[in-house]
Amino acid sequence: MSQVTETQQPGAGSGRAAGYAAGIKDVVVLELKQRLRSRGWYIMLAIWFVLTGLVTWLTWASWNATQAAQRAYSDFTPAQTGPGSMIFEVVLAFVLLFALLVAPALSANAVNGDRAGGTLAILQVTLLRPGQILWGKFFAAWFAALAFLVASTPFLVIGVALGGMTPGHVIVALLMLAVEVGVVCAVGVGISALAGRPLFSIVVTYLAVAGLVIGTLIAFGLGTGLTQGTIMANQPQYRQYQPLSNGPVEPEYTCSGPLREQPVARTERVAWFLAMNPYVVVADAIPYPERTGQQGFSSVGAIENVSQGARYAMAGPEGTYPCANGEAKPRYLAQTTPLWPLGLGLQLVLAGLLMWLGWRSLRTPAHRLARGTRIA
Amino acid sequence: MAIKEDPTGGQLPEEAPAGGITATAVSRKFGQVRAVEHMDFHAPAGKVTALIGPNGAGKTTLLLMLASLLAPDSGTVSVGGLDPQHDRAAVRSRIGWMPDTLGVWESLTAREILAQMARFYRLPAAGIGQRVAEMLDRVRLAELADQPARVLSRGQQQRLSLARALIHDPSVLLLDEPASGLDPGSRVELRTMLRQLAREGKAVVVSSHVLSELDEIADGAVFVNKGRTVRQQTTEEAVAAGRRYAISATDGGALAAKLTELGLAFRQEDGRRPAVSLMLSDDDDAARLLRDLVLAGVPVSSFAPASGALEETYMNLEGERR
Repeated sequence: MSQVTETQQPGAGSGRAAGYAAGIKDVVVLELKQRLRSRGWYIMLAIWFVLTGLVTWLTWASWNATQAAQRAYSDFTPAQTGPGSMIFEVVLAFVLLFALLVAPALSANAVNGDRAGGTLAILQVTLLRPGQILWGKFFAAWFAALAFLVASTPFLVIGVALGGMTPGHVIVALLMLAVEVGVVCAVGVGISALAGRPLFSIVVTYLAVAGLVIGTLIAFGLGTGLTQGTIMANQPQYRQYQPLSNGPVEPEYTCSGPLREQPVARTERVAWFLAMNPYVVVADAIPYPERTGQQGFSSVGAIENVSQGARYAMAGPEGTYPCANGEAKPRYLAQTTPLWPLGLGLQLVLAGLLMWLGWRSLRTPAHRLARGTRIA
Repeated sequence: MAIKEDPTGGQLPEEAPAGGITATAVSRKFGQVRAVEHMDFHAPAGKVTALIGPNGAGKTTLLLMLASLLAPDSGTVSVGGLDPQHDRAAVRSRIGWMPDTLGVWESLTAREILAQMARFYRLPAAGIGQRVAEMLDRVRLAELADQPARVLSRGQQQRLSLARALIHDPSVLLLDEPASGLDPGSRVELRTMLRQLAREGKAVVVSSHVLSELDEIADGAVFVNKGRTVRQQTTEEAVAAGRRYAISATDGGALAAKLTELGLAFRQEDGRRPAVSLMLSDDDDAARLLRDLVLAGVPVSSFAPASGALEETYMNLEGERR
């Protein structure tokens, strides 16, 4: 996001970039000073910490209770992996949910709140460029939101410590959470630069988040109905069920007979909706073990299920329909192509577009003003 | 290319076209509302220029255009010969703008606010601390420097806002209603300060509709109404155009009789005290009339200008419009 060349700057190239970054830093300092001095932020942080702790404890307690009940009423005791995976997943899902809820509140009044308070024009009249103001606001909102992730780190670490997970999981998960929060902050800051009133921009940002979380699911579900197509497939012949046999489990069937046209939903055409879902992006980015040669993976985690489900949709009938094109398909998808770069890319396009529009509205001398706004 | 004129130094107080700030035939619409239509404005360096007009006359819109925040739909703005559209940074480093809304970062202290502003104007980091201290002294906020801005009174916030506009030592100062909400003491102080800034060679633009005090500070005035420049005059011209005087006497009848005898048109004022008012062309006329009245034995109890010179012009303009 750069603007027209200016003649007044000393030096060029790296000097100019450093000057630009210094301006951003000054805005970030100004913003963070104000945020750090507001009690509301600390209260929210404390509530967040307590809630996350509560959820972690409840998950652990309920897992313990389930285990105790199973031991009491049944001889069957499943292979123990500890509650780690489950705690990790629940806490992760919860943290992501709350991060998505907190980020708009921290970002979506960044620009128009200042406009309402009369302090935006004070910045605009200085040598700061519109991009510096906008990036400064974005980074300040992001840093404030990242504090919430830092506060929830101990609980993710507990999830790992209780077994089953590696530190790598925590690092990847935190990284992806941070990126998702950043996307929401960018959307919020962009919208706040465009909308006249803070209340309106906060609501719109929440709706945008809801659109990403729920809207993408609805769009995928409804969109699937519109993607009816056909595929050439023949008949699968299933092997006999051998529950305790060792040896290869895949494929479970062989394909034979003439290829016939079968009606299918070509989900790969709408899977990009699903890919934009923050939960899918986070779940898909977290590594999980390859299970192709494994049997009895009924207890795979939710993260893995989400990821595989989305990859399944992305693969479409070509890769999942039994005996499509006469080839046997693995029951458990060994989809190794990750989906999250596509989803994250789309999210970044959306956030970038809003930031760009926001930047346009911050340029001065202003030619057009949003309806009903005063520049100062 | 970069203008090598020292942006922090004041220009000589001369009528050079390069100094000061000029708007030529600027227009600006907001939707269907024509806030400013074909307005001309000039504020020379080293002078205080008042921008006078009723509410909604387009004063703030004009100031926003002068401050390079708003682009005119047509017409040009020139700050020391530079166009804000093209030499944004050069223009900004010469302009200090004090908005009509206070707009302070409430949780920051006065010192922090000024230091932040200095950084936003890219003043050399080494000198910022001292520059901030200087400005705090200048607006008498040194004792309150480390209090959060929210505890400052309105007048103190106004002064902080002025210091904020001055932090980078601009050569053009645009003040939108700087006196509103100030107590009389602070107004006198503001007046002194603006005169001082003009003496330093800055072009000072003050918008206001409190007219009485502008007489004392403004060298010239631009009257605007309904988005147009109605009149541009210096304070001397305004004074020369005549001024209304209010006279009261313990014996109203004698006063009226004497004035009639002198052949002067006057009118009865319906103020709290019985008084008459009449137009006199200059101070000499006033002195002569007072002497005549006193010598004639009229018991004059008060004899004073009824309004400021600029106010007279303003009221006349208002009258013309009706």
